[in-house]
Amino acid sequence: MKKDHGHVGKKYGMVIDLDKCTGCGTCMTACAAENNVSVRKDESDKERSITWIQLYQISNGKKFPDTRYSYFPRPCMHCDEDGRGGHHPSCVSVCVASATKLDPHTGIVSQIYTRCIGCRYCQAACPFDARYFNWWDAYFPKEKGLERYLSPDVSPRMRGVIEKCSFCHHRLMRAKNQAYAEGRREIEEHEYITACTEACPVQAITFGDLNNPKHKVHELIQLPTAFRLLERLNTKPKVYYLSTKDWVRRLADNYRPGEFKRLSKGS
Amino acid sequence: MQMKRRNFIKFLVGGVAGIQLTPLPWKFTDDVAIWTQNWPWVPVPPVGAVTKEKTVCSLCRGACGIEVRKIDNRAVKIEGRSDYPVNPGGICPLGMGGLQLLYNESIRFTSPMKRVGPRGSGVFMDISWDEALDILSGRISKLRKKGHPEALAAIDGNPNESTMALMVERLLKAVGSPNYVSMPSVGDTCSMVNYLQQGTGEMMAYDLENADCILSFGSGLLEGWGSPGRVLNAWGLWHDAHAKEKAVIIQVEARASNTASKADFWITPKPGTEAALALGIAHVLIKDRLCNVSFIENYCFGYHDWKSLDGQEHKGFKSMVLDEYSPQQVAGITGLQADKIKSLAHEFGKAKAPIAICGKGKGSLNGSLYEFMAIQSLNALVGNINKPGGVLVHEAMPLSDLQKLKNDQISLRGLKKQRLDQAGTSKYPFTNSLINNFLDAILKRHQSPVDTLLVFKANPVFTLPDTTACYKALKKIPFIVSFSPFKDETALMADLILPDHTYLEKMDDLVCPPGLQYPFYGLTKSVVDPVYNTENTGDAIIRLAKKIGGSVAESFQWPEYEDVLKTRASGLYSNGKGLVGYDASHPVWKMQKAGNRAAPDYSTFEEMWEAIKTGGFWFTAKHNYQNYSSIFKTPSKKFEFFSLRIKSAIDIAAKQKPLKKVLKDLGVAKNADEACMPHYSKDESSQDSTEYPLFMMPYEMINLASEWAPNPPFSNKTLLDNQLRNDESFTDINPQTAKANDLKQGDRVIIKSLAGRIKVRVNITEGAMPGIVYLPLGFGHTAYDEFLKGKGVNPNDIITTNRDPVSGQIVWWNTAVKLIKV
Amino acid sequence: MEKPDEKLGEGFLSSLNDFVPPWLDLRSTLSTGFFLLAGFIAALVVGWILFPMILYSKQPQPINFNHAVHIDEESGIEGETETEKCLYCHEFREDGSFAGIPKIDKCIECHDDPESSIGETLEEKEFLQNYVAEEKEVSWFSYYRQPDCVYFSHIAHVNMGKQECFVCHGDHGKSEKIPVYQQNRLTGYSINIWGKRLSGWKTNTWDRMKMDDCAECHTKTGHEENNACFVCHK
Repeated sequence: MKKDHGHVGKKYGMVIDLDKCTGCGTCMTACAAENNVSVRKDESDKERSITWIQLYQISNGKKFPDTRYSYFPRPCMHCDEDGRGGHHPSCVSVCVASATKLDPHTGIVSQIYTRCIGCRYCQAACPFDARYFNWWDAYFPKEKGLERYLSPDVSPRMRGVIEKCSFCHHRLMRAKNQAYAEGRREIEEHEYITACTEACPVQAITFGDLNNPKHKVHELIQLPTAFRLLERLNTKPKVYYLSTKDWVRRLADNYRPGEFKRLSKGS
Repeated sequence: MQMKRRNFIKFLVGGVAGIQLTPLPWKFTDDVAIWTQNWPWVPVPPVGAVTKEKTVCSLCRGACGIEVRKIDNRAVKIEGRSDYPVNPGGICPLGMGGLQLLYNESIRFTSPMKRVGPRGSGVFMDISWDEALDILSGRISKLRKKGHPEALAAIDGNPNESTMALMVERLLKAVGSPNYVSMPSVGDTCSMVNYLQQGTGEMMAYDLENADCILSFGSGLLEGWGSPGRVLNAWGLWHDAHAKEKAVIIQVEARASNTASKADFWITPKPGTEAALALGIAHVLIKDRLCNVSFIENYCFGYHDWKSLDGQEHKGFKSMVLDEYSPQQVAGITGLQADKIKSLAHEFGKAKAPIAICGKGKGSLNGSLYEFMAIQSLNALVGNINKPGGVLVHEAMPLSDLQKLKNDQISLRGLKKQRLDQAGTSKYPFTNSLINNFLDAILKRHQSPVDTLLVFKANPVFTLPDTTACYKALKKIPFIVSFSPFKDETALMADLILPDHTYLEKMDDLVCPPGLQYPFYGLTKSVVDPVYNTENTGDAIIRLAKKIGGSVAESFQWPEYEDVLKTRASGLYSNGKGLVGYDASHPVWKMQKAGNRAAPDYSTFEEMWEAIKTGGFWFTAKHNYQNYSSIFKTPSKKFEFFSLRIKSAIDIAAKQKPLKKVLKDLGVAKNADEACMPHYSKDESSQDSTEYPLFMMPYEMINLASEWAPNPPFSNKTLLDNQLRNDESFTDINPQTAKANDLKQGDRVIIKSLAGRIKVRVNITEGAMPGIVYLPLGFGHTAYDEFLKGKGVNPNDIITTNRDPVSGQIVWWNTAVKLIKV
Repeated sequence: MEKPDEKLGEGFLSSLNDFVPPWLDLRSTLSTGFFLLAGFIAALVVGWILFPMILYSKQPQPINFNHAVHIDEESGIEGETETEKCLYCHEFREDGSFAGIPKIDKCIECHDDPESSIGETLEEKEFLQNYVAEEKEVSWFSYYRQPDCVYFSHIAHVNMGKQECFVCHGDHGKSEKIPVYQQNRLTGYSINIWGKRLSGWKTNTWDRMKMDDCAECHTKTGHEENNACFVCHK
């Protein structure tokens, strides 16, 4: 893995094996439960509902019975500097309030709700639709008592701010605390994984430090089946996908004729 | 110097200047800014000490291990357990949202209640536990005094093998009622197939992880079939990029479900013709010599034509299949190409460890007996029975029986009365309970033969096909008691509520999750103190029995429910080959295959029980593979392609009435020999195809609860907007079907069947088979809160139910419908 | 406003008039100055005295707690340094999280007998009677609770960063009487986090615990990387 940027820090990233992904949605519910994402009465309005990781259904477009569906789980891509002079992720460049930043030491793009002024520039700038605006306060009506399951690790959001996947940053802090309690400074690979990684029942998601050759993600992103979404935008996402299916890979970007490289002879 | 206007302005100017030199403006501005970041109405989760409690998920029968993360006394997250034998870490999306069921006050009963409003209005009044149990015990005692204990009935959604099911049945028997009715599930059909073909009525045990070819007849491997955590993990193993040999998955299904889409091969016969396809595959296996001849010749019965003791010639499986199920014939029935059937059979027959599995969708609804027999016969043909990577045959779970029931004269007389559902009679000789017949019996009579109905862990008004009939039947029953912790549709019709704890607040067992290949006993525990004034139904039953008194009380002499669980679990100890510890690096499917001979990791019963209570499981990995001479408990002591038990049932009944009538009563359209073998017959009850030209297929999704437990709101996020939009759900139809009915994407349409009509929107997709209208199960609640109520429609509302031959269970997969554009 | 005695001022003013240029209306100048000054002073009074009084609500703690007695050598609380002594009660949990104000169980470890007190104060007797005997938690107000949007790891600062408790908490650990808890009515923050020094002037590190103060220290001690937003925000 060549270094995209000057520093030699950690670069947390994710690899999602689309051949394994079954579209069950456990990553989405695990994420919502982990990150205190509120559920509103109408979640079918996808422009308003909040899903830090979103499953997209894609189809090969063939006729019955040759139709196939596949699924794209899409967390925040945690884009990086472009390596040609340090352009930041598109959301970071447009943020007028310094509410979203790329942490060069972890590669994680933060989102600070109390700093956010709700202008939604970042939402418009994000090519992956990974950012969500809170049109309302978190929905926890008193008479239900649902606030009892809220985790203190992530603060519930107020209306008027943007939120998005944080790569479960609080889990990194939790892992660090544990390491510190044991007198260590560094954490092990398995100590910090996101809630979706942990929850995936088919183990389709792998999480780790892309810069660390000992981590599994480092090895996986070098597979010929590895690719990223909208690679030509050069936003350097830290979320990689694996698929052996050409029709799935082809949907990852807008290829010009002849530009797409097939992996297999068939399909 | 007076305070004139000018002076006042001077004063103000001085004030304004002065205030700049105080912290007021700066701090006030800052504080207001901070205030906007901390709106008092946005909840602030309290911090505290983190603990983790290990338990088992019992939202479905799958028994996945879960770990509940707690902050002080609050449960804040459910995670999968990696130290649990069933599921190595993963759970399903519904299990992930369990806390939304625990803590949602508006869907839970917070205390025992009695109805004060009109029935179904959901207006109840809090009462004490004593009062509630007094009301019920008074009513039951009255029935007994009048000499009609059989007018007490129960609908039970607890799995047949569970201790709770035993408790409920025991209560009815102690009172003197035979009318214990369990909710249908795929397990009923599976255990019937095992009883008829292998002689034991156990659940199917599929060694999926060691198999290399899975031929799934509509089983929703990715829709929540079996133990979702386990099956999904197996899926991951099969598709691991580093796997030496990847398993081949063949999905037989008429819809591009997740499983079908992700399978290596997707086969699309017309719904309801799966049995014919299985027999067509059998044909090719036999003809192309892909069978395991030595297994068939030595350990199977009824493969060849045979002669019974009375000298009569009987057709065998082989000649039936060769005569009637050639690929061409099957192609005509199923709509598939003959070549495809052949290549499919070769794929299956050539695999080292192929398994054919049955149970449509999640397997929460029953299946068709002959179809399942045909599928199981494929496993026998390739000889993959009781072998690693095959279908394993187990003895009954080694759980102890409860102490003998005490019956007084009243109860003995009551028990002699016939069951309302006629299960076990010559019409349904192998069936334990038939809820559809039970409800029919209530509907047919002028006055309901059931006076008091107890409902446990079931929501028949929502989950049973043909909900209208169910609703009407329940309405006729004078008194309904619900033990549900949730305000489900059925509970809202109740007169008395005795709310159970939710699964996170109570101890209960989970015996043999469906499909698991080794004997397994799971135990849930209370991970949080009960949130409301609820009580474990096991304890409530014991207290109720004590209030009824007499022989009923004597039948329930345990101090509390945990003692009942312990009594049963004592058999696990005396069995002498269990384990209560588990090392994730040695999965049970590997241990079992490697011939694990580890001695039990406990030395006393108490030690074992304490370990089960903390760990939540007991299992055994010791298995005697093959052992064919002693595993089959059929009359022939062999695997039976031709079921002698069906034959003797027919023979016995034929002594009373003509054979034709016997077969008709059983629902068999073929002759007496074929009635004993898996076969396909066209469903004759299909309605007029000109009036209702299309078929409606309900389907299940892994991210939408369609059984008794409500759907956690989190999973609403996972639904696609062509499945639910606002409050409208969608039907999937093929572009051809859409064109024929002049429909466009998003159009509103009425789906009408003989049973009713529902309004949905149209989603046009190539994943749908032409001529079929698909509807997801799980939408259309009329109970619960804004997260569930009124969202979409319930396909059960329009299902016209037929009866499956011999088993008598509900046939729910071929409702004729028509589309009316709105 | 009080009215000055006009007659008395009259003579004084006329004598002053001799010294000032004729174009200056001394009388009106003084009057202007007077009102400006009065407004000025009133504003200072409002801003420095009244405003803080109104802004902060005062809530007394349920009972007093004497930190000094507990960190005294004779108390039996072990620890080589002051910080270690603090950690005896304000401990780290196994997962590295900070337990904060101890729960009653911790108190009972030493004050195990509700009948006989260790010390001699009335406060302790009251504590034993009302809390220890009934194993009831004391509903302390926390002076140093950061708002919900802030993540703070004590172990990172104390164990890894080798920071002493007083750096942020000042002399709190040596006090004999715990102060009245003052909460900002607008923000809900404790006065100890930000509000003790309304001037904004900071003489001690523990005078204020706002974001800039954290960042300032991170920068000074060469932990610039910990100024990344997500390190302290959740």
